[in-house]
Amino acid sequence: MSRSTEAPLAERAIAADAREGMGARAGEPRNYVGIVRAIVLVVLAAVALTTPGFLSQPSILSLLTTISFIGCVAVGMTLITISGNIMSFALGALVGATAMIFVLAVNWGGFAFGLIAALAFAGLSNALQGFLIGWLRANPIIVSIAALALIYGVAEAFAAHGTIYAAAGTSYGGFKGRIAGIPVEFAVFLCVAALGQFILSLTTFGRNLFLIGSSFRAAEAVGVRTWRAITGAYLWAGLFTAPAGIMLAIRYDAASMNYGMGYEYDAIAAVLVGGTIIKGGEGSVLRTLAGALIIGVIQVVLVLQGLRTEWQYLIAGLVVLGVIALQTSGTRD
Amino acid sequence: MDILTVEGLSKSFGGVRALRDVSLSLRAGEIRAICGENGAGKSTLVKLLMGIFTPDAGSIAIDGVRQTMRGPQYAQALGLGLVAQELSLAPRLSVLDNIWLGSADVPVFHRRRDLRRRAHNALETLGAGDWDLDTPVSALSIGQQQLVEIARLLARNARLLILDEPTATLTDNEISRIIDVLKTLKARGHAILYISHRLGEVFDLCDTVTVLRNGEHVATRQVRDLTRDQLIELMLGRPFGDMYPASAAGPDAGQALVVETLNVDGIVQDLSLVAPRGKIICIAGQIGSGANVVTRALAGLVPGASGRVSIDGKPLQLGSAPRCVERNVLFLSEDRAAEGIFHQRSVLENLLAGSFNAHTRFGILDWLQLRRVGARLAQRVAVDQRRLGAAAGKLSGGNQQKLLFGRAIERPQPGVLLMNEPTRGIDVGARADIYRIMRELCSLGYVLIMTSSDLEEVVGIADIVVTMYRGRTVARYERQSIAMARILADITHPVRAAA
Repeated sequence: MSRSTEAPLAERAIAADAREGMGARAGEPRNYVGIVRAIVLVVLAAVALTTPGFLSQPSILSLLTTISFIGCVAVGMTLITISGNIMSFALGALVGATAMIFVLAVNWGGFAFGLIAALAFAGLSNALQGFLIGWLRANPIIVSIAALALIYGVAEAFAAHGTIYAAAGTSYGGFKGRIAGIPVEFAVFLCVAALGQFILSLTTFGRNLFLIGSSFRAAEAVGVRTWRAITGAYLWAGLFTAPAGIMLAIRYDAASMNYGMGYEYDAIAAVLVGGTIIKGGEGSVLRTLAGALIIGVIQVVLVLQGLRTEWQYLIAGLVVLGVIALQTSGTRD
Repeated sequence: MDILTVEGLSKSFGGVRALRDVSLSLRAGEIRAICGENGAGKSTLVKLLMGIFTPDAGSIAIDGVRQTMRGPQYAQALGLGLVAQELSLAPRLSVLDNIWLGSADVPVFHRRRDLRRRAHNALETLGAGDWDLDTPVSALSIGQQQLVEIARLLARNARLLILDEPTATLTDNEISRIIDVLKTLKARGHAILYISHRLGEVFDLCDTVTVLRNGEHVATRQVRDLTRDQLIELMLGRPFGDMYPASAAGPDAGQALVVETLNVDGIVQDLSLVAPRGKIICIAGQIGSGANVVTRALAGLVPGASGRVSIDGKPLQLGSAPRCVERNVLFLSEDRAAEGIFHQRSVLENLLAGSFNAHTRFGILDWLQLRRVGARLAQRVAVDQRRLGAAAGKLSGGNQQKLLFGRAIERPQPGVLLMNEPTRGIDVGARADIYRIMRELCSLGYVLIMTSSDLEEVVGIADIVVTMYRGRTVARYERQSIAMARILADITHPVRAAA
């Protein structure tokens, strides 16, 4: 087409777009979602700041560590959610199992070997689930529930006593304690989050995850190798989850399947509260970071207020339900 | 008195005006055609009448009494009946069950004698009094099933029948039977709203015609006062010839794409096709002809497809969309919402989907370059560059479709673009843009293959037409020999079917 025909075409389209845009802005449905979000944040901040002891050093440190464990799992979960596979129920069990593999491997071959073994186990076992989901188009929820049962079954049969202890005098090469005043766990979590955001924003693989989550069939039609991308998403989810298990094992010099209990739930809460969309195709690690912070603050406040664990579950449940309600009302066409 | 009086009916969806201030009225014994382009507002009008949508403004009166259509059941009780575009029968249930399915008159057990009698009477009116009411509907032909749909309305005492493209999937014999049936109903005093793209039927059957364009009422005329070209001009809002850009000049530029013995189990049989660069090839066929499966198969999206395909002499392996895309074979689906657009993603990402890898440095995406290329693509397909960051789902259907074309326009090498119904559900202005983009792709040396169920479009845009009937090619026409009548004959009941 010659340039002379391009100009009027473009002008006409722009005029049409302007009309369209004006119409679309007339009844914007998302506004009140933003308002609700702002109110919730203000209330949460007010409650937190008026809770005695919230701004003390031990409380802040405990907040940062809590966020770090949940956060690593949540970053992994973010990739799964964005890719349109909702969530994985198996990530909590993966934390415990990775911790056990780590302790066993460290006892056998030292710290570095332990790290490699733990990352390899978490990455590959999760990638296998991703392969089933991506290649066979298996339902992601069912696969993750099956994986959950499988991991628990094997781990419980393997570790008859429930808890595995690190050999006396094991050294973790500086991965215990604090660096420059902040807990090591938090530093590791920030690295995980940065890597996660990098992958999502700046690699073809990451962008393809958004496309697949937004429309699987459209992604196939433009030639995205969907099964590879989905397998990759689960692989990275495993690699991002592994540090949570490793850091728990280092912290307690031991490992048990109890370590990751309920983490998948806190993680999905963090993902959703952050604003990643449950049906996929939209979201970011930065949002998850904010979500993890909110979930962490809620948990610390509940502990400081002296509420029992049941209450913590109840509140977390309400938060997730609330977020889902807001998301659906905001995105319905 | 008029059975139906509609005044000032308006309806918007999220800022898009689907129907604007439409008024019309209909007498008993009148058959009214509703004509208009895709997206003119025909379906919206029907859904407002049947109470499926609630109007934003305007009124609907039945027998002069203003009514608020609360839902399909309510509309039925007032004597309205709809035969929707897709058949809505339960195939495993009997004719009788289907006729009464969902009716408010039916008690829990409905083998009651008067229900059988009323069903029988309805069928008898349609000239099908000899049918066994207990036959499962799946044993009937599509045309017979269409009659069951109509009988369903008559049994419920519908006085105003609304038929939305009732003949789209029928053979010629079945169509003429339906037309006879509708004429009988007219003689008995029923009013009929007849929605069809087939202008021949409008002139055969209808008394009056209402033309809608872009959601607005354009004209209501006596059919006998109109010529076919005048009707088309009313629908398009411009002379017929203006719509389509001039076709590619010059001789056939070789055989870029060669397809031999393409087979898709039960759908496409031994199809062969030779396509040059720079020409638009239309595969014309009715629903079920397999035309839209041919394009899918060539795009690698049909797992069971087999056949020898080569581009410039190099074989192309079927069954893998990524491999086809690597060879610059791209697909544009008829189902834009589910298989084309990434609704939540930005215009920019939609334009570049599938080719991010071409814009990386050491594996890292170069967003500055992506922006630049995206802006250029948007300009080339006439989408506002200022909307690169907007979610593609917020764009109109026409703009969304242009984004899909944008994906094709800057491939590393001019490739093959396979399009199913490329202008479905798109307003007239965007249609003209799309035809121009298609011609631009031609001049760049692409092979363009499209399917369309809109014969006007086929005749208007195609350089080569291949007709298909039940999975086989019937004939191939080059520019001068393309004629609507021959295409229509080929795709409905071919005489010269290639065995």
